[in-house]
Amino acid sequence: MTGTPVVDPIIDFRARAEELLPEGASYDACLSCGLCSSGCPASGLEGMNPRQFIRMAMLGMNEELSTTPWIWTCTQCQRCTYVCPMSIDIPALVGMARGAWPWEKKPKGIVRSCQAQLRFSSTSAMGLRSEDFIEIVDEIAAEVREQDDRFKRLNVPIDKQGARFFINQNSREPAVEPEELGPLWKIFDYVGADWTYASKGWAAENFCMFTGDAAAWEEMVRKRVDAVNELGCKVWVNTECGHSFYTIWKGIQRFGLEANFELGNLISYYAQWIREGRLPVNSEWNRDNLKFTIQDPCQLVRKSIGDPVASDLRYVARKLVGEENVIDMQPCRSANYCCGGGGGFLQAGMTENRRAYGKRKFDQIMATQADYVLTPCHNCHSQMEDIGEHYGGHYRVVHYWTLICLSLGILGENERKYLGPDLAEIGLQS
Amino acid sequence: MQQKPRAYEVQLAVIGSGLAGFAASIFALERGLSTAQVGNTGAVAYTTGYLDLLGYHPVTGQQMLHDPWQGLETLRRDEPGHPYALIRNDEIADAFHLFTRAVSDMGVNYSAPGENNLAALTPSGTFKPTLSVPLTMLPGVEAHRRAARTRIVDILGLKGFSAREVVANLQDSWPGLSAVTINFPGMESGSQVYPEVMARALQVPAERELFAQQLREVAGDAEYLGLPAIMGIHEPDAVHNDLERLSGLRLFEIPTMPPAVAGIRLREAFEQIFPERGLLLIPQQKVDRVTPEADGTTLRLKDSYGDVSIHAQAVILATGRFLSGGLEALRDGVREALLNLPVTQPEGREAWYRERYFDPRGHLVNRAGIEIDPQFRPLGRDGKPASKRLFAAGVILAHQDWIRQRCGAGIAIASAYKAVESAAAMLTRQT
Ligand SMILES: Cc1cc2nc3c(=O)[nH]c(=O)nc-3n(C[C@H](O)[C@H](O)[C@H](O)COP(=O)(O)OP(=O)(O)OC[C@H]3O[C@@H](n4cnc5c(N)ncnc54)[C@H](O)[C@@H]3O)c2cc1C
Ligand code: SF4
Ligand code: SF4
Repeated sequence: MTGTPVVDPIIDFRARAEELLPEGASYDACLSCGLCSSGCPASGLEGMNPRQFIRMAMLGMNEELSTTPWIWTCTQCQRCTYVCPMSIDIPALVGMARGAWPWEKKPKGIVRSCQAQLRFSSTSAMGLRSEDFIEIVDEIAAEVREQDDRFKRLNVPIDKQGARFFINQNSREPAVEPEELGPLWKIFDYVGADWTYASKGWAAENFCMFTGDAAAWEEMVRKRVDAVNELGCKVWVNTECGHSFYTIWKGIQRFGLEANFELGNLISYYAQWIREGRLPVNSEWNRDNLKFTIQDPCQLVRKSIGDPVASDLRYVARKLVGEENVIDMQPCRSANYCCGGGGGFLQAGMTENRRAYGKRKFDQIMATQADYVLTPCHNCHSQMEDIGEHYGGHYRVVHYWTLICLSLGILGENERKYLGPDLAEIGLQS
Repeated sequence: MQQKPRAYEVQLAVIGSGLAGFAASIFALERGLSTAQVGNTGAVAYTTGYLDLLGYHPVTGQQMLHDPWQGLETLRRDEPGHPYALIRNDEIADAFHLFTRAVSDMGVNYSAPGENNLAALTPSGTFKPTLSVPLTMLPGVEAHRRAARTRIVDILGLKGFSAREVVANLQDSWPGLSAVTINFPGMESGSQVYPEVMARALQVPAERELFAQQLREVAGDAEYLGLPAIMGIHEPDAVHNDLERLSGLRLFEIPTMPPAVAGIRLREAFEQIFPERGLLLIPQQKVDRVTPEADGTTLRLKDSYGDVSIHAQAVILATGRFLSGGLEALRDGVREALLNLPVTQPEGREAWYRERYFDPRGHLVNRAGIEIDPQFRPLGRDGKPASKRLFAAGVILAHQDWIRQRCGAGIAIASAYKAVESAAAMLTRQT
């Protein structure tokens, strides 16, 4: 974050694009077909759309592109690249433009979150320090042990050397809704997973990536990779958060970091444990045949793992709520729309634009007529709740862990914040 | 970082996600072959949605073919090198029926291919001969045949579709045709209005009610309303039926210029249904390398997650032409991009194009492509099949001019049928 330029730098987009793109690829290949714009929820915001962005780059309209606030409304979801016949990577240009904005002009919310991450060894974007994290974890673990006899020996390990799984933690739970920590721990306990949190580098979110500052992104990923390497864990697992997976997976490759472990994603472990019979979930609790739809987080599906994880999301959902009660959004899987909460949009303070972007997600959800949206992503969760309220939808948004515990009859009374009255009583221990 | 390599083993790998690739996957699944498909957005993204069999023959004649099946017989006599010369009429009919039925099952209903071509509306208000059309568009064919009182509706801000232009072009043959412009609910500013966005909005019941209300208000005494193609993306027939119910009007769609929804409907239906039926689909990616091996062929590619390899017993090449990247136009000639198969082509670049762009005979470069044997195996430089495992389908094949002959979908579907048939026979012989 040094060397803040005094005047707005004007990027030579054309020249930088040549450096950025893999061999053989070129923005000149653009057919101007408009498929990108047609399928982009940010089209029309700030008077811009992705096709126009590419055209302007090719025409050398560098000043306009270097200063348009549109780059903060593009969530870098890569849907445009996905549908483009020439696979043109527009978000790469957007990321570059973000990086070149002077820090003091970038959206404050994103910058503040990144700065917070850089401040402490916890890497928490909410500025939560490790000692506080550990205290909160201890407190909630004690509560879980006390509330439910079945978990009276529940252990939440921190810094356990050589544990198989290194579990990171999105700061939102410990900082804002600590009671939401319990369900995941119960699941790990249920399957007897050998896991640990760490006292440093445990946070999962990475807003530095969204600032466009590659050095800050790298620093963040490096700290977390070091933490896993130090503990000698075999698998790093994201919790139900999309971009935490993407940022570390992409970061390790992009910055050539040495990571002596695998990257795993929680959803695929849920699926595996269900298949193996270790998580014997069923849908009997869904007596009213409530309908559920699934939000595929861009960062986890289209931008990284792709179809295998999309299939696991569906496999787990069907087991949980019943085959006939899962209704896919259209489009879905890798073609799904970004919710509009990604790329730092939720933190960027551009509420009107963000909701306009989210209208498409809202329509997708409403078309399914589902009662609930299931999603393993914090940003998707917050954004879909917000647009639901804003546009007058009556759906609710839930995590997978909530339903897994609900189905297993181990969801505590205080862990039901996101369930509606229809499910508030189901499976409660009397 | 330790990342497990992804390697798959299948009987058949299909390279290409155009109509030929998708048709090949449909036919392969139907035969119970374990199948993988890889391909990016190709020409199918720009399609009107109509499935053409044969619209014109000879291309210098101005008359649309009424009976394309008869036309095919003549074509085979006149152009023995044409891909259709290797496929019998009953096979083509079978292929069309299987394909349209499969696509209809996926939620995008098509009219059953019949004896005769239909006269289908184009975005500019002309007609083109085609064999099968989406049911959302079919009532337009009927309205025209009956010269029914019809109003064409366009939408403020939607580029490339003008109701006035459609009416101006049609009014001589279709009296009682009129035009009107409406606002799409929520897009009254008219800026950046895309068919895809409207179509997605109309998936929502509440949005349909608002829109139907708009339609009722402008219908006047019209029996039919013709709209740009925006009636939903997923299961458009349900959207169509519901809008008719709500408005009390007969509605039909007219294709729009790209970016349009017809191709998106097909792509999304395939992308959603295929994986559920056990097809290994790697969407929106291209194969980088194909390596023949003693016990099969290996395809290599990179997707967003990293390296993928697919080992297959048989491969169908359906990579399309220039627009889709199956053929490349280089300074010294046309090249087949993936395997460097020999390409039949005009001598020298000067011969590619005739002087006049609209020369009715068409341009020679449009007939360039790869050669195949009767089993649809591409030929190598020695004139023999390049490999016993390799088959080809679609508009990459030489000796056809799908644009002028109006036979794009037909070649894709029928040749995919034959290529899969031959691949399946080879696989059976092998075991
Ligand atoms: C503007 C336009 C309008 C059209 N309208 C109609 C119409 O109204 N009716 C009609 O019948 N036909 C129409 N067509 C034609 C129709 O789309 C084509 O005839 C048909 O799609 C050809 O099918 P294909 O599968 O052979 O090739 P394409 O559709 O071109 O598909 C080729 C596929 O191969 C993929 N590919 C290329 N290289 C690789 C690689 N290395 N690895 C993996 N995949 C690769 C491409 O990404 C693409 O998915 C239209 C075409 C265009 C361009
Ligand atoms: S989809 Fe790709 S080729 Fe088409 S306009 Fe957008 S960037 Fe250009
Ligand atoms: S990355 Fe997403 S938001 Fe950005 S231009 Fe592409 S489709 Fe639009």
